Amino acid sequence: MIEKEKLKEYAHKLMFDMDEEEYQTLQEEFDVILEQMELIEKIPNIKEVEPMTFPFPLEEAALREDEIGDYLTVDEVLSNVKHQVRDQVKVPKVVE
Amino acid sequence: MYKVVIGLEVHCELETKSKNFSSAPNTFTRTPNINVATVDLGLPGILPVVNKEACRKALKTAMALHCENPDEVVFDRKNYFYPDLPKGYQITQVTKPMGRNGYLDVLVNGEKKRILIHQLHLEEDTASLEHNSNFSLIDYNRSGIPLIEIVTEPCIESAEVAVRFLEELRDVFLFCEVSEAKSNYGQMRCDVNISLMKENDKQLGTKVEMKNINAFNSVKAAIEYEIKRQSELLDKGEKIIQETRRIDEDGKTYSMREKVDAVDYKYFIEPNLPKVPLSKKYLDEIRKEIPMLKLERFELYQEKYGLSEYDAGVLSADKKISDYFNEVVENSNDTNLALNFVSTSVLSTLNKLDITIDEFLVKPKSIAELVNRVHDKKISLDHGKKILYQAIKEEKDPIDLIKEQHLEQINDEDKLLEIIKNVMDNNKEQVRQYVEDGNTFVYNFFVGQVMKTTNRQANPNISLELIKQELERRKQNDKK
Amino acid sequence: MDYRHKTIKELKQDLIDEKTTSEELFKEANELAHKYQDEYNSFVTIIDKYKKRAKNDSMINGIPYAIKDNFSTSNILTTASSNILKDYIPVYDATVYKKLKINGGVLVGKTTLDELAMGGTGTTAHTGVVKNPWDKKRLIGGSSAGSASAVSLGIVPFSIGSDTGDSIRKPASFGGIVGFKPTYGRISRYGLFAFASSLDHVGCFTRNVEDAAIVTDILKGHDPLDMTTLKDEDIKYSEHLDDDIKGKKLFYIKEICNIEGYEDENIKKTFKEFYKLVDKLKEEGFIVEEVSFDENLLNAIYPTYMTISCAEATSNNANLTGIQFGPRPKGDSIDEIMFNARTEGFSELIKRRFILGSYILQKENQDKLFLNACRIRRLIVDKMNELFKEYDGLILPASGSFAPTFDASSERLNPKATVLENHMAIANFGGFPSITLPMYYNNNLPVGINLTGKVRDDKTVLNMAKKIEDIVNLKNKVAGDENV
Repeated sequence: MIEKEKLKEYAHKLMFDMDEEEYQTLQEEFDVILEQMELIEKIPNIKEVEPMTFPFPLEEAALREDEIGDYLTVDEVLSNVKHQVRDQVKVPKVVE
Repeated sequence: MYKVVIGLEVHCELETKSKNFSSAPNTFTRTPNINVATVDLGLPGILPVVNKEACRKALKTAMALHCENPDEVVFDRKNYFYPDLPKGYQITQVTKPMGRNGYLDVLVNGEKKRILIHQLHLEEDTASLEHNSNFSLIDYNRSGIPLIEIVTEPCIESAEVAVRFLEELRDVFLFCEVSEAKSNYGQMRCDVNISLMKENDKQLGTKVEMKNINAFNSVKAAIEYEIKRQSELLDKGEKIIQETRRIDEDGKTYSMREKVDAVDYKYFIEPNLPKVPLSKKYLDEIRKEIPMLKLERFELYQEKYGLSEYDAGVLSADKKISDYFNEVVENSNDTNLALNFVSTSVLSTLNKLDITIDEFLVKPKSIAELVNRVHDKKISLDHGKKILYQAIKEEKDPIDLIKEQHLEQINDEDKLLEIIKNVMDNNKEQVRQYVEDGNTFVYNFFVGQVMKTTNRQANPNISLELIKQELERRKQNDKK
Repeated sequence: MDYRHKTIKELKQDLIDEKTTSEELFKEANELAHKYQDEYNSFVTIIDKYKKRAKNDSMINGIPYAIKDNFSTSNILTTASSNILKDYIPVYDATVYKKLKINGGVLVGKTTLDELAMGGTGTTAHTGVVKNPWDKKRLIGGSSAGSASAVSLGIVPFSIGSDTGDSIRKPASFGGIVGFKPTYGRISRYGLFAFASSLDHVGCFTRNVEDAAIVTDILKGHDPLDMTTLKDEDIKYSEHLDDDIKGKKLFYIKEICNIEGYEDENIKKTFKEFYKLVDKLKEEGFIVEEVSFDENLLNAIYPTYMTISCAEATSNNANLTGIQFGPRPKGDSIDEIMFNARTEGFSELIKRRFILGSYILQKENQDKLFLNACRIRRLIVDKMNELFKEYDGLILPASGSFAPTFDASSERLNPKATVLENHMAIANFGGFPSITLPMYYNNNLPVGINLTGKVRDDKTVLNMAKKIEDIVNLKNKVAGDENV
């Protein structure tokens, strides 16, 4: 079983936290999904299959011509920003 | 003494009209948040759309660096949280970068060094952060600007070689016309990895990373400082800590953070971008556009054209000047004369008027024409230069000026002889000095007179020969 | 006949005949939306002001509709039913919303969904559960819960949803209506808040197949803002609904349709109805055959779906940090702000899925988990494409039975999650066009039939679905109607 501490570490890397009992639930859930994935590994010759990352080959897909199109006004850029200064998004000092 | 092993990661913003994955303008501006599309802000529901021109320029640069190219365009996501990354991931290339296994030859003190390129990939720039005393500000103008990253193998042995590589690499960007690569605009930035090892060690030493250095001399200072710092530590038998260091204005480096374990970026193929095949035909078309690079020109000028190292250096330093010179040479029959015209007249005029070759109105073909006329003795070198000067000043075509001013050189011997006879008839005293006293100083006098009479159009060499003959003829006649 | 039962075509005719006006239709829809809101919670936002629209002869001009609250609608609150976006007002229009506007559709409201479209119950929205119009003790299914209930209740004749695993087609089954997601890329996803980009589809709910074709005709088309969209085709699906289906070949999967394999009486009943339908289809000219499908692959559908969708979702939602939009909580550092925004903004279920997705993508697990799932995806899709060389469609019950009650459902990963309840994700794996329509009513509770066809052949899927609809004869039902 995956350690709860590990799960906490993962959560923190994703920038959030959960309650203790929520981690408990997750721990159980992990067991189920990992068990199911074990089954997948047992499918013969699975490693020889090319992973599918897109539903089907899209022959017509084309790159975009380099032209300027629609973009936002400064007001639009900032319209959902809670804290702003000099047309920029203000945040606590970022330490590099 | 330790063996220094340096690897560089160079970022360069590409020059395009629009951004890499959105159609917001890609222009440098100091007015915040005016070049931002939904995609660059990472708004919910956005989808990236790949800029064809950014791909073309990335491929072109990869080719110029002798890289292998992929058979299709594929992008991956690099996942991490940082305030300058609005989507929470950066679209970059891991699976199939635009270039792999290339190299760039650089001259270091006259010796050619081959720097191996591990890979070149196309990605997007992040937003920029402005740090104030107690807060930071985010400007998304830079977010999504096409960026190429060039990763060298750890094969660079000194600060000097590193800087020479960066200079040559910038010239590749300039010669290929993919970027203006202005480091003061942050268009070209560099991360340095450096480790020291004992001469006979097989394993690389502990790697120290220095991030985001803009100026080349800062790169040099930082590397030199690190070599000294690490050498001293090793001399004392201390260990080098694997870490990221920051560089200050004096070129000293400071520890930013220790690397506990490498960040897992959880790369996976960007699902919103279907793979677009790159046909051999398309790649070949791009390949054809790659110009001769600086070092090749430098060598060519010396070997084929016989230019001095200095002249070759001056002419190959700037692609546009070099192209200009090449066009003059290609269209003229005399390389030395062409060089003479370009280096003395063209380059000095650019300096004098403080203009670029783009602003220089006289076309290379006209210079070549001028060179050819001088070479064929249709006009004198003296006239040629004067015409060029006038053409520049009056913004006229030099060939038109030659015609306008009837400056074509008189090479016709009959015509010249007639003029010479005339001059001698009008200067009996000087003829007498030759005929009676054998004074050869009068040659120059008569050449001068002929030139004056013909408004400097007479071919001075032919004129001199004819003057000698005519004077001798008169002397013989006088004896009879 | 009242507004609630009318088809798009009938409403359009009423407008042409000036029996009603668009504004009257809007008022009627608005009143219904409010009337049912407390009971069923179909909407996050109900539009109260009638807005003048572009007038043209589009089939949906002047017709009320609803759209799921995970489509970007400028100046209209768009929450994706999550606290992390509870105050987000977009500055741009999703391509589908733009098309609906241009065609003169009249927006009635933004519908409730499972938080960030990640869920299949309609119970996880930040504004509460969505109830099944046929029985308030039951769920409607999700994630496009509100879009399904709004059509099922007769508030609007059509609504827009999104479908990543079966998020349109499952609630359509539980709501006794039609739910269609065309081929991947047929409709632009620009402006659809991404859940799992390689599986996400845009589609619609209607109360009959013809309306689904009409709406799809309007929404489909290449979009320069979505590189994954297909090139335009020069046909209208609504003009091919009555094409002859004689000789069309359908298959069903033996391993799923074995009655003996189920204990639940209601599931057995569903299959009895299914086989009755199969016989009728044959009588009407379809060829229907039983095909065997590797059980290992069938069992892998759910874990494969979970793996791929959670992995993509954790990345897709990494933009939700409270910095550029959404509530900005207090914090001394930027990390603290992001941390608080995400801790407060996501419900437990979402967090669990993100952690799972992130774990799946970790370097040391990626090959075994993520890439293996992508490999299974290929095996399943390859098998389907092989079958589609011979057959025109796959036909299966959209669910084993009618909608479950709230207490029977759990949003946790269910180890016994059966193939029967998750097979529709096959259509998301391969981007196949797939439609659910009513099959029968069990105790006045609807159960749907699902038909999935070849990639790009949306026309044939709708054509065959129309024929099935004619045979079943359960179209245009509104919750509360008497049923067979």
